[in-house]
Amino acid sequence: MARTNRTPGAESAGKYRRNLFSWVMLTPGLIFLGAFLAVPFLLLFVISFRDVDNWMNMLPTYSLNQYLEVFTSRFYLHMIWTTLWVAVATTVICIALAYPAAYLLVRAPNRTVRTALYVILVSPLLTSVVIRTFAWIVLLAQNGLVNEVLMKLALISEPLRLLWNLGAVIIAYVQVMLPFAVLPIATSMGEIDPRLRQASMSLGAGRLRTFWKVTLPLTIPGMMSGAIIVFSLAAGSYITPLLVGGRLQPLLPLAIYQQVLQVANLPLGAAMSITLLILVGVLVAGMGLILRRWEGRMHG
Amino acid sequence: MDDREMTGASARRRRRFDGWTLLVWIAGGAVYLFLVVPVLVIILSAFSPNPYPEFPPTEFSLRWFREVFQSEPWMRAIGFSLWLMVIVTALTVALGTTAAYGISRLEFRGKQALLSFMLSPLMIPQVVMGIALLYLFTAMGIIRTMAGLVIGHILVSFPYVIRTVGVSLSNLDPKLERASMSLGAGPVQTFFRITLPLIRPGIVAGGVFSAVTSFGEVSISLFVVSPSNMTVPVRIFNYIDQTFDPSVNAISVLFIAVAVLALIIIERTIGLTKVM
Repeated sequence: MARTNRTPGAESAGKYRRNLFSWVMLTPGLIFLGAFLAVPFLLLFVISFRDVDNWMNMLPTYSLNQYLEVFTSRFYLHMIWTTLWVAVATTVICIALAYPAAYLLVRAPNRTVRTALYVILVSPLLTSVVIRTFAWIVLLAQNGLVNEVLMKLALISEPLRLLWNLGAVIIAYVQVMLPFAVLPIATSMGEIDPRLRQASMSLGAGRLRTFWKVTLPLTIPGMMSGAIIVFSLAAGSYITPLLVGGRLQPLLPLAIYQQVLQVANLPLGAAMSITLLILVGVLVAGMGLILRRWEGRMHG
Repeated sequence: MDDREMTGASARRRRRFDGWTLLVWIAGGAVYLFLVVPVLVIILSAFSPNPYPEFPPTEFSLRWFREVFQSEPWMRAIGFSLWLMVIVTALTVALGTTAAYGISRLEFRGKQALLSFMLSPLMIPQVVMGIALLYLFTAMGIIRTMAGLVIGHILVSFPYVIRTVGVSLSNLDPKLERASMSLGAGPVQTFFRITLPLIRPGIVAGGVFSAVTSFGEVSISLFVVSPSNMTVPVRIFNYIDQTFDPSVNAISVLFIAVAVLALIIIERTIGLTKVM
């Protein structure tokens, strides 16, 4: 056997068998994703061009009416704008908070501290988003902890209305998504050669200047990959806004949820979904492009 | 910036810039506090006898845990969620491991694009995935069935298995598989005798990710779940959305315990830093 393997014919036969086996292994996963990821999105795309009658029944005709409604009504344009604005605000705050957090993780004085910080960062990712959001209701409600502590300290006399606004949505989003920003930034920070910083400092640059000129540029890849995840999650979630912001917040994912499950205008819901998908896709692709350009500059 | 890096010459600078380091440490500490406080609040509330949270806590009680364990609907939801988790984990691990192996051993044009497609459920807005599946399942007639729920959960867990098994496969020494083949073993035998045992850490970590993802999934479940067979997170969602029930605190503590357990398993098998 071992000898025959060395002849060219047997060699390519062996390679053929290996490749065949690899394709056989890959096929079930591909069929699954094709049937339950590609097909549903095609279906969604097709439905978004359908018309409805006054009772929300789908008509057999196709048109651009649903998209016209989304892109010409001030209501939906405002909603698209708010969705993007909330997602961008969440991303920027997450990145800003992620830097000191990543620094602590990379510079933890010993293994125990580092493990503890890791547990704090990763355990929320393994806990359901309803539970993480629920915690914010307990904290921010009228009779919640924040109001109670502020009242006890006599800083306020009436409980503040902390829930049911976009501020609460952004706070909860930041807490839910922060680990996604910290982990990649910490990874890039850990990869920086400490001699680069030493060199910068020994040449007379201060800490702040060293951060701007050395650490920040070298952590841009981690920062961008964190930003991509946080942005796409913040633009596409409806659970957190629904629970801490309320049903009436002008956010696209919330409106899609209600359009489909309550109004039952399926084509309009589909058109809004495709709009959201394309918006997130274009912005994420743009951020990905910046990421690759920057990586090219760093290594090239 | 690390103290150990500082040597005689820069000792002066160290004194001069200690303020900045202190500031960064305080800021970082505040961020971790911000991350951990909501979790602590839930734990405190769960062990308090009062329906509303108070700080500092005055009494300790297991009242809300008892209420959960004595509530038939909650226990049914927990049972259903666990059952679903087992099915989803087994199927996702099988589908994900084979797919990760296949794609790692093949070279073809568009491989990167295919890999991105396989990981895309992590990035696609979940509300969009939820309604896409709602339409598909309605057309297929499996809306509000267990099958629909299983499919939805596999879809969101799949990328994690691809990632963890992918990490294990890329750490594998290709010489071992080549040696097995040159000794006469076919690809199937080599996979089961050599590859599979060696990538077990990645498979276990992927299984843990699938399990916690399925157990906590709500965004897609809400669109396809049946009102008579609810998962725990969907039930929690309905509860918070309509009323305030302190037993949700106790349930949440159970979830957090599961998360910490999962964390330990992942750390022991493949290492947290590799997969996150």
